[in-house]
Amino acid sequence: MAVSQNKLVQWIEYRLPVFSFLDHELNEYPTPKNLNYWWNFGSLAGIMLTIMILTGIFLAMNYDPNVGDAFQSVERIMREVNYGWLIRYIHMNGASFFFIVVYIHLFRGLYYGSYKAPRELLWMLGVVIVLLMMMTAFMGYVLPWGQMSFWGATVITNLFSAFPVVGKDIVTWLWGGFAVSNPTLNRFYSLHYLLPFVILGVVGLHMMALHQHGSNNPLGIDRKGPQDSVPFHPYYTYKDMFGLSVFLVVFAIFVFYFPNVLGDPQNYIPANPLHTPPEIVPEWYLLPFYAILRAIPNKLLGVCALFASIFILFIVPWLDTSKVRSAYFRPIYKWVFWLLVIDAFALGAVGAHRPEGFWIYIGRIGTFYYFFHFLVLMPLIGWFERPLPLPPSISEAVLKKKQKRGGEGALTGVAATRSKP
Amino acid sequence: MADSAHSTTADTHETGGTRRDFLVIAGNALLGIGAACTAWPLVSSMNPARDVIAAGAPIDVDLSSLKPGQQILVLWRSRPIFIVNRTPAELKKLQEPNDTGLLRDPQSEVEQQPPYAQNWHRSIKPEYLVLVGICTHLGCIPEFTPEPGGTLGPGWPGGYFCPCHGSKYDLSGRVFTGVPAPYNLPVPPHRFVNETTVRIGENPPNVAWEFGSIVQI
Amino acid sequence: MRPHLAMPALLIGAVIAVAALAQPAQLARAQAAEEGAPALPDVSWSFEGPFGTFDRAALQRGFQIYSQVCSTCHSMNLLTYDDLAGPDGLGYTEAEVKAIAAQKQVPTINKEGQPAMRPALPSDHFVPPFPNEKAAGAGFGGTAPPDLSDIIKARDGHERYVYGILTGFREPPKGFHVPSGRYYNLYFPGHVIAMPPPLQDNVVTYSDGTKATLDQEAHDVVTFLTWASDPTMEQRKQTGAKVILFLLAMTGVLYGAKRRVWSDVEH
Repeated sequence: MAVSQNKLVQWIEYRLPVFSFLDHELNEYPTPKNLNYWWNFGSLAGIMLTIMILTGIFLAMNYDPNVGDAFQSVERIMREVNYGWLIRYIHMNGASFFFIVVYIHLFRGLYYGSYKAPRELLWMLGVVIVLLMMMTAFMGYVLPWGQMSFWGATVITNLFSAFPVVGKDIVTWLWGGFAVSNPTLNRFYSLHYLLPFVILGVVGLHMMALHQHGSNNPLGIDRKGPQDSVPFHPYYTYKDMFGLSVFLVVFAIFVFYFPNVLGDPQNYIPANPLHTPPEIVPEWYLLPFYAILRAIPNKLLGVCALFASIFILFIVPWLDTSKVRSAYFRPIYKWVFWLLVIDAFALGAVGAHRPEGFWIYIGRIGTFYYFFHFLVLMPLIGWFERPLPLPPSISEAVLKKKQKRGGEGALTGVAATRSKP
Repeated sequence: MADSAHSTTADTHETGGTRRDFLVIAGNALLGIGAACTAWPLVSSMNPARDVIAAGAPIDVDLSSLKPGQQILVLWRSRPIFIVNRTPAELKKLQEPNDTGLLRDPQSEVEQQPPYAQNWHRSIKPEYLVLVGICTHLGCIPEFTPEPGGTLGPGWPGGYFCPCHGSKYDLSGRVFTGVPAPYNLPVPPHRFVNETTVRIGENPPNVAWEFGSIVQI
Repeated sequence: MRPHLAMPALLIGAVIAVAALAQPAQLARAQAAEEGAPALPDVSWSFEGPFGTFDRAALQRGFQIYSQVCSTCHSMNLLTYDDLAGPDGLGYTEAEVKAIAAQKQVPTINKEGQPAMRPALPSDHFVPPFPNEKAAGAGFGGTAPPDLSDIIKARDGHERYVYGILTGFREPPKGFHVPSGRYYNLYFPGHVIAMPPPLQDNVVTYSDGTKATLDQEAHDVVTFLTWASDPTMEQRKQTGAKVILFLLAMTGVLYGAKRRVWSDVEH
């Protein structure tokens, strides 16, 4: 499609080809026509990142990164600043919803084999984003300088002391002092402001990698021609906007009516370095990893398992030996996938409870299964599983599905697809 | 559906338009309105917060120990406020045509003061002058230079001298011609609670005047 | 499941799962500290529910309790006196707030630069009972009574817990040892609390003629403390209703727009 005839547009386009870029990446960008609603979560994640950065910038205008003032300054935002409560609650709950969206996005990728060739780097960049998000979220949680902020920071930074020889030095270096203290808060604030922009950069690379080969799809087969795809705009822009709207309703219910449900009451008590709260629990989105950490009764090995549980995701494209992408055609792996989902929730529950009684065993079994899934089941099932026959093309599969549903106007399917110049 | 004859996006946009466009346009409009409404709290959060506004409440200043010829400086809303007790000789000089002829706005016609200070002494009581001590040129603080003559030349009648760019004002804050400052020094809202206590930030009873209507601070 | 229902169902499911996961994180503490603790008393509040508001009369009575009883030991450092004014506050006029503030003295420096005291202004924060944390702790075995500004947000169980504590003082059961200077409380974790029973029938005389029973006093002061923890609650809920209505309308229209856009494609 030609760029607009508008003189100003052409003047700019000649010097800076933004319009043809947008046209190419939105109007012409061919997208499989059979994407389901699980594919909404990628753009939702992008919008969440934008919301977090925007609200964060305005929070930073009123925040004081000093141990004496931090708690009061956050409360001042809630009580004195115009709409400060709204901006802060959006940011606070936004962190949780960002993780909900990204975790769904990640599991969608796992189910439909979106990490498989040629999308390995796309997947790995995504894992980098998750990792950066966890670091950002952890440091952001420290900023209000409540009891959980302080003790969470103390516990997590102390993890690094498990490493032999250099462990203690790393911890002191992280703190910039002899304990979590003012220098720690200052640097966490600095990094919490910086990292989202690093994430934004990695998201840019993630998008580049995505647009190189286009989206995967629920069938996991490649697009064979124009009849298999629709241009991103207007089809997926409107589908994404509809999804966004549904998402915002749920988000708004939490922001306006249950703003503190996902947080911990202890964080409304100012940090007190002389008094440890009875139970230190991370935010819910880190609970499964916290469970893995505690499942292993050796400090160093626990920390290693924690890191391994995230880094293992990097090599998933090579652990999965199946020739078929989508679990839709993988009768065994499909069930194993849902076991992993259950395992993740179970680990989350374990992370929320004291390591006592049967929670210890659930935690160990869950941790074992987590690694067993990736290191053993994934490669093995790929070898012996017999996938169902794949449809010849996306459009034919779509047509067949429609007919099976007794669909209306089955014949228009091919004719209506766009032939792109 | 029935539209299958049109096979490109462009066609559908242009010819199939009327049919589908009400919902699409309404959707776009709602998205736009939503985005604009979302921007409002963010923009609004940069305005003065409740505590900042509360800290700008009127302040009372006791003038009983302010001797004639002296100035005190207080802070109101983070701005320097000059309060001067002018001597009879100084007050007399403010009305001399020789001096007022050199002023840019001798009658205080530009709204740089509340109506109750639009007079030759620019104050409620002639001796007590209350000014916002911020030069109307570029925001420096003018120096209180009440003695005539001196380094400012033999013609200097006494007043305010801004060290930044040499703007000069007389002892009621009226600006002289030939200096960069365009307007007289602003007079904040104020009233006398009793004979010797002035309340800065509040108009006398039954006067409604907005500090924000001042032309230049 | 019809595909257009998948997305909302999915989201709501995920959020409920997360909320369920997040709740035990807090409950674990309470459970761990206290196996078989009695359920907190369930009384009704004016501020409950999506349209709940603060009962202004109860707020003013609650503030009276705080001023005459709680404030002898507990600070409320995050509040200023002018928070009490106006429709978002307790409904007092500015003149009333000025008079309330003026009853308190705050440190300042006089003309000679020496420490002095002046009457508090509406813009001042609530004057604490003790000059500093250490002084606050000195009379209580080193542990200062907690600041009450955020107390409702800062406790598991929230208003129900604080109401429970205020009304939960009992004779200890037979064989339960309570050290001297400590008290038995049904709802306090471990049952042994350092705070003496602060409220009883007629501990104050209400100016509006309400009968000052223990339950009434506790209910009023908890209403006040809930407002203090969350003074923007009414604004939040009202804004929320408008925002959600708007979003629902937008969702409907965008669903239609999406269907329109997709109407000529098999998918």
